[in-house]
Amino acid sequence: MDISLSANNIVKHYGGVVALSDGNLDVNSGEVVALIGANGSGKSTMSKVINGVVVLDRGQLLLDGSPVLFSSPQAAKDLGIATVFQELSLIPQMTVADNIWLTREPTNKLLLVNQKEVKQKTEELLALFEGTYKSDLRPDLPVAALPSDEKQIIEILKAICFDPRLIILDEATASLDSRQVQRLFQLIKRWKEQGKAIVFVSHRMEEIFQIADRYSVLRNGKTVGAGDIDDVDEKQLIKLMIKKESVFEFIHSYIKEEEKEFEAPICLDVNELRTELLEDVSFKVREGELLGIGGLQGQGQRELLRALFGDIPYSGEVIFNGNCIHFSHPRQAMKNGFALVPGERAREGLLYIRSILENLLLPSWRRYGLPLKINQSKRDAKKVTDSLNLVMAGVQEPVSSLSGGNAQKVVIGKWLMREPKVLLLDDPTKGVDVGTKGEFYTLLNKLCDEGKTILFYSSDDDELIGLCDRVLVFHDGKIRTELKGDVLTKENLVAASLGVTNGNNGEGAR
Amino acid sequence: MKRFSISPPVAALILAVVLFLLSGLLPNGYGGDIDVAIAQATNITRLAVFLGVIAAGQTLVIISGYEGIDLSSGSVVTLTAILTYVIVNGNDNKVLLALLVSLLVGMFIGWLNGIGITYLKISPFVMTLGMAGVVTGTIIVINHGNVSGKISPIMTQIIARPLVGKIPGAIIIWVFFGLLMWLLLERTTFGKNLFAIGVNRVTAKLSGINVNLTNIATYSLAGALAGFGGFLLVGNTGVVLINLGQPFLFPSIAAVAVGGTLLSGGKGSYWGTMAGAIVLTLITSLLTTMQMPESVRRMVLGATLLILISIYGRQRGFRQ
Amino acid sequence: MKKISWSILTARFPALFPLILLIIIIIINAGLQPNLFSQEILNQNMRVFLPLILLAVGQTFVMLGGGIDISVGGIVSIINTILATQVGLDGSPEKMWLFVFVSIIAGLLAGAVNGFFVAFLRLQPIITTYATGFLFGGLALFILPNPGGGIPREISEFYRNTTPLGIPLAFYVIAIILIIWWYLSSSKYGRNLFAVGGNAEAAYQTAVPVTWVLFSTYVISGLLAAFAGIAITMLSGSGNAEIGPPMTLTAITAVVIGGVALSGGVGGVAGPVMGAITLGLINNIVSFASINTWWETLVKATIIVIALATPGLINLFRRRRI
Repeated sequence: MDISLSANNIVKHYGGVVALSDGNLDVNSGEVVALIGANGSGKSTMSKVINGVVVLDRGQLLLDGSPVLFSSPQAAKDLGIATVFQELSLIPQMTVADNIWLTREPTNKLLLVNQKEVKQKTEELLALFEGTYKSDLRPDLPVAALPSDEKQIIEILKAICFDPRLIILDEATASLDSRQVQRLFQLIKRWKEQGKAIVFVSHRMEEIFQIADRYSVLRNGKTVGAGDIDDVDEKQLIKLMIKKESVFEFIHSYIKEEEKEFEAPICLDVNELRTELLEDVSFKVREGELLGIGGLQGQGQRELLRALFGDIPYSGEVIFNGNCIHFSHPRQAMKNGFALVPGERAREGLLYIRSILENLLLPSWRRYGLPLKINQSKRDAKKVTDSLNLVMAGVQEPVSSLSGGNAQKVVIGKWLMREPKVLLLDDPTKGVDVGTKGEFYTLLNKLCDEGKTILFYSSDDDELIGLCDRVLVFHDGKIRTELKGDVLTKENLVAASLGVTNGNNGEGAR
Repeated sequence: MKRFSISPPVAALILAVVLFLLSGLLPNGYGGDIDVAIAQATNITRLAVFLGVIAAGQTLVIISGYEGIDLSSGSVVTLTAILTYVIVNGNDNKVLLALLVSLLVGMFIGWLNGIGITYLKISPFVMTLGMAGVVTGTIIVINHGNVSGKISPIMTQIIARPLVGKIPGAIIIWVFFGLLMWLLLERTTFGKNLFAIGVNRVTAKLSGINVNLTNIATYSLAGALAGFGGFLLVGNTGVVLINLGQPFLFPSIAAVAVGGTLLSGGKGSYWGTMAGAIVLTLITSLLTTMQMPESVRRMVLGATLLILISIYGRQRGFRQ
Repeated sequence: MKKISWSILTARFPALFPLILLIIIIIINAGLQPNLFSQEILNQNMRVFLPLILLAVGQTFVMLGGGIDISVGGIVSIINTILATQVGLDGSPEKMWLFVFVSIIAGLLAGAVNGFFVAFLRLQPIITTYATGFLFGGLALFILPNPGGGIPREISEFYRNTTPLGIPLAFYVIAIILIIWWYLSSSKYGRNLFAVGGNAEAAYQTAVPVTWVLFSTYVISGLLAAFAGIAITMLSGSGNAEIGPPMTLTAITAVVIGGVALSGGVGGVAGPVMGAITLGLINNIVSFASINTWWETLVKATIIVIALATPGLINLFRRRRI
């Protein structure tokens, strides 16, 4: 099985936005090439060009030396290219087996799907990840019932079930826990030996240095560097990815010089909060505190924020500034000075086709009378956009015209206009460029200094460690550990995320 | 692919003008006679008023997104027309009461639609279509004794006859109505919320909007507006028929689409619908002038809507 | 515990709810009409139900794919008016079968038009098929402006009275439908269909030929609408351009109570078939209950709305209990 794929000078536009202006990638049998780039760099587009989901505008794709043009994802598949996607491509109502074998079902003479063969082959595939499942993963379970890491595994199995020659792993490790990642890496090594070629799209440096042979870096739609992974280190790669200095140094400078003795009053006192996913969550937060919430994705962090904001029902006690509260709708939470920046801004935080002004004012129109004083609203909006350094053509422009980082500023600005007392942040820097991240950290610290209370969930461990004094690590819907001060290290954070408690009891913060 | 630099309402108006000029060239057309042209234009606009008012509620529910549509407006129009007819019975002093009843009855039916759509999760198309049947059934029950009634002189005076100079009262009512609709959509919290739930209901809820309430309010309002439409309509025609409102239903949707309101929701205006109503009334009247039968009228309307959504309504393809 | 088992049951057997409903309605109907199962009455009922059953099956395909077809009523009207005008009361059986063939082509074409707009141009199904439905209705009216025309008596008689082996014709048709469905749903096509209805974007990324699958559902719906049009013409023996549109809502209702989610991806054909029969029997019950004629329309319409509301009501109660 020999394969080589070359993408040369790929250009791709989406409407008026240039996703790729000069994308290049070379990958051959038996090697893993890491495709690296910040969000908005064109990483995703590149992998979509290679697997036929998206048509390139200009440039050339060479497969085994000859030019190809994929007319559809099926065409790429037929030539042996498989992709494990970032957004899951599974059908929720269908079973594990049906999903894996979709369009590749073994059939009998009557052209009917051979159920027995399907079941058997599925079990063989499932066995590849054996030992890393949390529950009993059977071929006939509907995919909708699976947790996200197992869904990701099914996604991987789906990609390899037809023995592809080239495998593209597009942020495939995002939902997996460390055991599963290691098992995947074992499989990748086996695939390399079989002569397969692998493109590993990721932003997790550790994993890249562990598994990749070569690298290729995209920045703002251009390939700016490529070579052997042994010849570079993390700092150099980051420098290639962003024009500015590493954001990690930036974060580290925020380790507080003085140990701020928190004598501020307790703002939020949560007792035995319970939802479908959460079990007896209890903790306290003081005014002006930047409380970190960590752990692997899907352990209940998002649910906690949503419950506090009144978006999902819960049982348990929440005391806010001495008063018992229980919000049943975000409107109530808002009225009490709460704000939530949701995890997926396009789906949950913005009205994409409406103007920046309308997005910023969305929760607040009632303050502008009847009929609405639009000029006043424009002035107020401008104050916020100025303070956030929002780069835009005008406040009447649609939000879709903004870049990722600026769009996220709109989501935050929406709440800052109301001067909230408690900010619930759900992975706010995901998909935000490094420059904006820096501005964001400054903003957060400023808000805390002003006495606002912030609950900050991040899937980025370094971010949590650099920004927060205290981090509650969630695992399986419970607070596994509270880490603070000297104990707040990356090793402890990662360990706690996996459910290991090294001495710190799992009681949570008191 | 589609880069229209002119806004849809303006495009619709231009289309209307073009059609009108064309109509002048027909055998029964106004030829070069300015006075006749003005008279015809006024008449067309006056006729368009009723479609325009009936399409107002449709505009709201379509903006509310998530396949919002109101197929019950046709039968609501008929129902409230009958109720007005019966209540007024020739008395000027009963007119206000009839108006109130029309609005309330329309609002009630719209409210039922809203409940079914919001809490029972029935698709708006199916729910309102079902309600249309119920309303029609109600009309038959009321009607079986052949209702007797009459509109009152003041209604004819204000609606059908010229009110200010040569301008018929209906048009003046429509202009005020248009202003009110603009105020509602662009200068009230409700309007902003309506656009929001049309774009993205998750964002709307997480920004504090009570999506269910807004949705129900929209359908209730749409029903009330249809009721108003029935009131006006009977004031113009003076008679009631079992199918008074039905012919306005399909054109009302087409009018909204012509006017540039996105059928997927979240964007649009009533001015566009007004322009759309004029365009559609022109098309119908052109067909009548050409002495085309009802069947052709339907085919043309159906084709018109198809062409419109082919231009404006294409959703994102899978392959980009 | 009870509520958990109910939801698992309905997920595994989407036809459970319509089956229970059907049994209840049969019992009520049998109460009012004791000779319900006699060959004569059974046949009388089933021949009236058959057009609706055919429409419901066609609609099922479209809905499984995540779409909807509002134009089926218009297609029925076109077929009815074509047959009534072209064959006529004194037409020969050969002419009849010729135009049956023409009708089938017409149904396929109409379905292809719908499929083109929805699948290839990616327009919204509801508004598109509403527009084409209006267009088709206008065409039917053009073909036959006033009720009239007809088909030969022998053919009507054949349809109305054929009972091979004592079983009404309709049951044979249903059996054929069920066999074809069993085959299709166990094939790759069936998998693709459920995938498209479940999550079209994911299906596309998995290289399912989404556009063709969607297109095919509309063509199938058009074809079955043509059969329904043929059936209803044979039933009534005459032509009427307005005969189709009222059937659309009833067909959709039959599919909804038949356990097929409007969002697609879940369900089968058996449920809607039962749903169609249920609605037909409910019609009978209303007639038998000797309600004042003036009230009949209202009562039937209200029943439709209640039927449409029922899955939603059930869900509501289940959610409240949690």
